[in-house]
Amino acid sequence: MLFKKKISAVHVPHCKSTQDMHSVRIAPPESVTIPMSMHSGVPAVPVVAAGDHVFIGQLIAKEGEGRVSSPIHASVSGTVTAVSDKSVSIKSDGKMEKDPSLKAPKLETLDDFLDGCRRSGIVGLGGAAYPLHGKWEAVRKNRIETVLINGAECEPYCTADNRTMVENADDIRKGISILQKFVGAKEYVIGIEANKPEAIAHLTEYFKDDSSVIVKTLESVYPQGAKQVLLWNATGKVVAAGQRLASLGVIITNVTTLAKMAQYFETGMPLVDKCVSVDGSAVKEPKNVVAPIGTSFRELIEFCGGFKCEPGRVIEGGPMMGRAIASLDEPVVKATNGLVAMSREDSVVVEPTACLHCGKCVEACPLNLNPVAYSKALDIEDEDKREAILRKEDVPQCMECGCCAYVCPAHRPLVENNRKAKKFLRGRKK
Amino acid sequence: MYGNTELITVSSPHFHDGSSGQRIMLDVIIALLPAAIAGVVIFGMKALLLIVVCVATAIVSESLFDVIVRKKNTVKDLSAIVTGLLLAMNLGVDVALWEAVVGTVFAIVFVKCIFGGLGKNFANPAITGRVFMIIAFGSVTTFTNPSCVDLVSGATPLAELAQGAMDRLPSIGQMLLGLHGGTIGETCIVALAAGWIYMSVRKVIKWYVPLSFIATVFVLFLVFTGSPVYAFYEILSGGLFLGAIFMATDYVTTPITVSGKVVFCICAGVITFIIRKFCALPEGVSFSILIMNILTPYVEKLTHNVPLGGTGNGK
Repeated sequence: MLFKKKISAVHVPHCKSTQDMHSVRIAPPESVTIPMSMHSGVPAVPVVAAGDHVFIGQLIAKEGEGRVSSPIHASVSGTVTAVSDKSVSIKSDGKMEKDPSLKAPKLETLDDFLDGCRRSGIVGLGGAAYPLHGKWEAVRKNRIETVLINGAECEPYCTADNRTMVENADDIRKGISILQKFVGAKEYVIGIEANKPEAIAHLTEYFKDDSSVIVKTLESVYPQGAKQVLLWNATGKVVAAGQRLASLGVIITNVTTLAKMAQYFETGMPLVDKCVSVDGSAVKEPKNVVAPIGTSFRELIEFCGGFKCEPGRVIEGGPMMGRAIASLDEPVVKATNGLVAMSREDSVVVEPTACLHCGKCVEACPLNLNPVAYSKALDIEDEDKREAILRKEDVPQCMECGCCAYVCPAHRPLVENNRKAKKFLRGRKK
Repeated sequence: MYGNTELITVSSPHFHDGSSGQRIMLDVIIALLPAAIAGVVIFGMKALLLIVVCVATAIVSESLFDVIVRKKNTVKDLSAIVTGLLLAMNLGVDVALWEAVVGTVFAIVFVKCIFGGLGKNFANPAITGRVFMIIAFGSVTTFTNPSCVDLVSGATPLAELAQGAMDRLPSIGQMLLGLHGGTIGETCIVALAAGWIYMSVRKVIKWYVPLSFIATVFVLFLVFTGSPVYAFYEILSGGLFLGAIFMATDYVTTPITVSGKVVFCICAGVITFIIRKFCALPEGVSFSILIMNILTPYVEKLTHNVPLGGTGNGK
């Protein structure tokens, strides 16, 4: 193979001003709206009706039937006000009462472990939101040598994983103990970008007596936390298109996901809240906010002192891969890790100019893809020809990390085009 | 209270490194300036007039074309200025102004604009303009010596080399400073190298891309003649630096991958060597770049990246 020894990456501003801010819990929101589709796979199905009283941690939606799904639990105590197949709304009684029946689940066999993962409602919190049990199910069929614990957190502004590593190292240790028991991997590598010295120092000290846990410092470049990039930089392995990561003997899990998993097995409390880094040039007092799932972004912003200037783009997630939200009334979901409000001046959309064929996108792509070819292929009228080129050029491999568009001097909408190309190919399959 | 206006919903990424096509073109112009100024110093005010005429013609012809095809004016992307400037620097100082005007119009309109403008042309406009002028007007390749130096003959160093007249060659110092016959912008190696360094530092080009062109020519002449001095004169003359630094690195008309750009330059170096050594033409930089422009799609096919974990079918 001709790929470079060193994976391409871009240097983005870190903007991690909330890095050293201890997470703070938001005041109980008046109400929450919890979407039924916060994970990849089939949406959950509500099991409560309007008027029901719920406690925190109580099941409000069961797994949907199909490939993979995840159950959903109430994040505040109060009364269910609206139920649809899209979402469940709960009016908080302000008491934030936990479900008294919650207790630590039985954890003796692999089946217990996987069943617990399923019931916990936990999904991949790094961004993919893949249900937890779906990931660990792979240990049944594959011999896992290495568990990669992803603490890279390469997105600008986002520091929630950093807070997990600094504040909840105990949970990470408990999580690893559980994995040691049921997964039995030889090594547990915690990969952290060099720009988080506190987390690195803390965890190195924490695990100094456990030789199977390795804290690995990674270069602070974007997208260090991407699956393929982390895998290569931490293990030197490559997962091919269509291949399951577990078949290489590796499983990657996000560090906060692991901590949440440990918390669940200790207390029985499923995933009901999430630490979100609220930051950006339009936010008055940036904070790391722990908010119940379903809390509106508006309340998060208000908790952070409101806007200091007119916001232009408000992004759920980080600025490289995050989604610009249309309304502040949208809720925090399971995998939300950042909320970045950019001022109007910082949000200006630059008109694209003609492609110069400079090759900077090709050079920047961590996966050695050819973004300019996808955009060109989209202009081809003949759909068969278009499909052939897009497949040949491996567009489904694109993870939409944004490096290509970040460096494009012509400001071409490369990521948008890649998404269109992938969508086109999905449509052709049927 | 802020936040009541509509939010901007556009695709990620929401960060950008701040680069622009215009800034890149500006960098190319800045990088060309030392050699252009050196050309004016060496060849006099006629050189300046020629530069001004070519740049002005480039701007006017592109604007007129945009008006005629009802396209938004594209002059502000600065690429027309680069083409005008580069073409002027590729001309001998005695080229008639009207010939320069015709050449520039050809380069802008027929090589760039009618293919759809910047980014769509398959051949470098300045190179093609120059080649067109070589064929159309004999004057392009007749050079007078700069007035400030007193050399034995009016022939360029390349012509002397071709005749084996090593004793009539200017000194290495004169070669580096550009005090000998040639086009306005090709002679002053020191000034061209300054532009090379500037563009490398500004990350407009990779420093080793022009080097692979120049080194190929050097190595081939060294192997062929066994004389390092001969090979050294070969690379310092005939517009090799100008072509390698500014025209073999043109984004639009060279391969997209870095490895492709290097292959392009090595091939161009080989063709330059063949033309200079075995053909009637004393110099071959323009023709070699033009030939490679045409072969660029094939070089791209050869040097296609293998995606990490991909099928690699693209190769």
